[in-house]
Amino acid sequence: MANIALGRYMPLNSLIHRMDPRAKILSMLIMLTAIFIPSGFMGYGILAVVIIGVVLMSKLKLNFLIRAMKPMMFMLTFLMVINIFVIKTGYLVVDIFGFKIYSDAIFQTLYISVRLMLMIMITTILTATTKPLDLTLGIEDLLAPFKRFKVPAHEIAMMISIALRFIPTLIEETDRIMKAQASRGVDLQEGKFKEKIMAILSLIVPLFVSSFQRAEDLADAMEARGYIPQARRTRYKQLKRTPKDVVLIISSFSMLALMIAISIWR
Amino acid sequence: MPIAFKQVSYEYSPGTPFAYDALKNVSVEISLGKVTAIIGSTGSGKTTLVQHLNALLLPSKGEVEVLDRVILSSEKPKQLKSLRQQVGLVFQFPEYQLFEETIIKDVMFGPLNFGIEKEEALLRSMHALTVVGLDETFAEKSPLDLSGGQKRRVAIAGILAIDPNVLVLDEPTAGLDPQGSKSMMSLFMKMNRDYGKTVLIVTHDMEHVLNYCDEVIVLNQGSVVLKTDVKSFFRDEKLLDELNICPPKIVSMRRKLNDRGLHLDEGIVDVATLAKEIAGRVK
Repeated sequence: MANIALGRYMPLNSLIHRMDPRAKILSMLIMLTAIFIPSGFMGYGILAVVIIGVVLMSKLKLNFLIRAMKPMMFMLTFLMVINIFVIKTGYLVVDIFGFKIYSDAIFQTLYISVRLMLMIMITTILTATTKPLDLTLGIEDLLAPFKRFKVPAHEIAMMISIALRFIPTLIEETDRIMKAQASRGVDLQEGKFKEKIMAILSLIVPLFVSSFQRAEDLADAMEARGYIPQARRTRYKQLKRTPKDVVLIISSFSMLALMIAISIWR
Repeated sequence: MPIAFKQVSYEYSPGTPFAYDALKNVSVEISLGKVTAIIGSTGSGKTTLVQHLNALLLPSKGEVEVLDRVILSSEKPKQLKSLRQQVGLVFQFPEYQLFEETIIKDVMFGPLNFGIEKEEALLRSMHALTVVGLDETFAEKSPLDLSGGQKRRVAIAGILAIDPNVLVLDEPTAGLDPQGSKSMMSLFMKMNRDYGKTVLIVTHDMEHVLNYCDEVIVLNQGSVVLKTDVKSFFRDEKLLDELNICPPKIVSMRRKLNDRGLHLDEGIVDVATLAKEIAGRVK
């Protein structure tokens, strides 16, 4: 449970870690757009090479990224099954007792898989190299221009930062309750269907109870210290833009441009 | 067969920047039929140690012998249920594990999981509730409506109803008022004296160690520093100072009297004997 990789910050010291969170968020958005452009396997190949390059620069282990993708495996399998049943174009690849699998089904699945994997990699790089607090500061700054249109930038940032802050706490809590219930004979792996439902219930109910309790305590603690969302406040941590951040944004944009070019040329 | 740790090491999140050695080459035996205290400062590995006893954690290195089972680092032990039925573990702040609609259902949850018949489980649960000091009127209430101390009693009853031979308690009195923690400790004593259960208590309270426990294991930074019986533990002033342990009131009182020239026996650990001794000297 404690080994969940998705969305976890890895405290390393690399060029990517030191970059401005605002630049990283922007460049993630640009890269995500680039991934959505249908540039074929060639475009994705180039993107993959670039992204893996960034991973190497960030000193993250590839192993860590693979673990971050594990939760997606179920979804990808599901997707593949649906595609095989639905897509009936292209040439016939396999024919087992009248059950036909067509080439387009396989290509389509591969295509979506690659796309999803690249997206997960990009977002994982962002969350693994940026402290949650920096991430929210970045989001707040990026949302600041929209304040004019009554977008509650600070509140959104605060909500995100509280949510992020409590992910490890809740994982720890889940782990603890799982162990406590295991001591009472709960077995999540084995057992009949009804027993499994009970096992999950014995985990979820205490988790909800303690989450609500925590939320209430936190709200009280914030109010006791006079928290007002609209209050003007200064920051201890000032975000600074450096030349390397400009380089990051420019290269992200050129990747996007390249993808658009490839998709038109195709 | 006793309970024994043999060169046990445990590492959290191995292979990541968060890797942390919680236990380092621990070898210690725990005597059956006694009340053993496990003490040590925060982060010394007490909780990690006790979680090995019912295989919630598997050792990274070494082996743990529990009753007739051997838990190894390499293999995933099968049939953990029978082990967990024999070794009941009560977590720190166990009140957070309650989830059923009624108290009696929650207490019965454990026994039913271990395949005990419904009537038998009900009998055991009712008995466990009375043992922890809650009468029948509580049975049909919701566990969420209780006070913190009562919730803890229900959670402990949930483990007692399983009727384990070994009872492991991780800081059972943390956050309870003095009266509550006293009655809690007497309950565990009763489990030991009347029902012959082996009791292990993780605690910070030296008064409890002195008054209720037979043996003591001292942990420091993931290693066992010492295992000895409680009386000789509190007799050794130098050792207590070395381990930075603040002795129970009665022990420090006797120490102070001795420093002032009243040569009292160092084995005195209860108020009555101390008073008698002092009275004898003063006459």
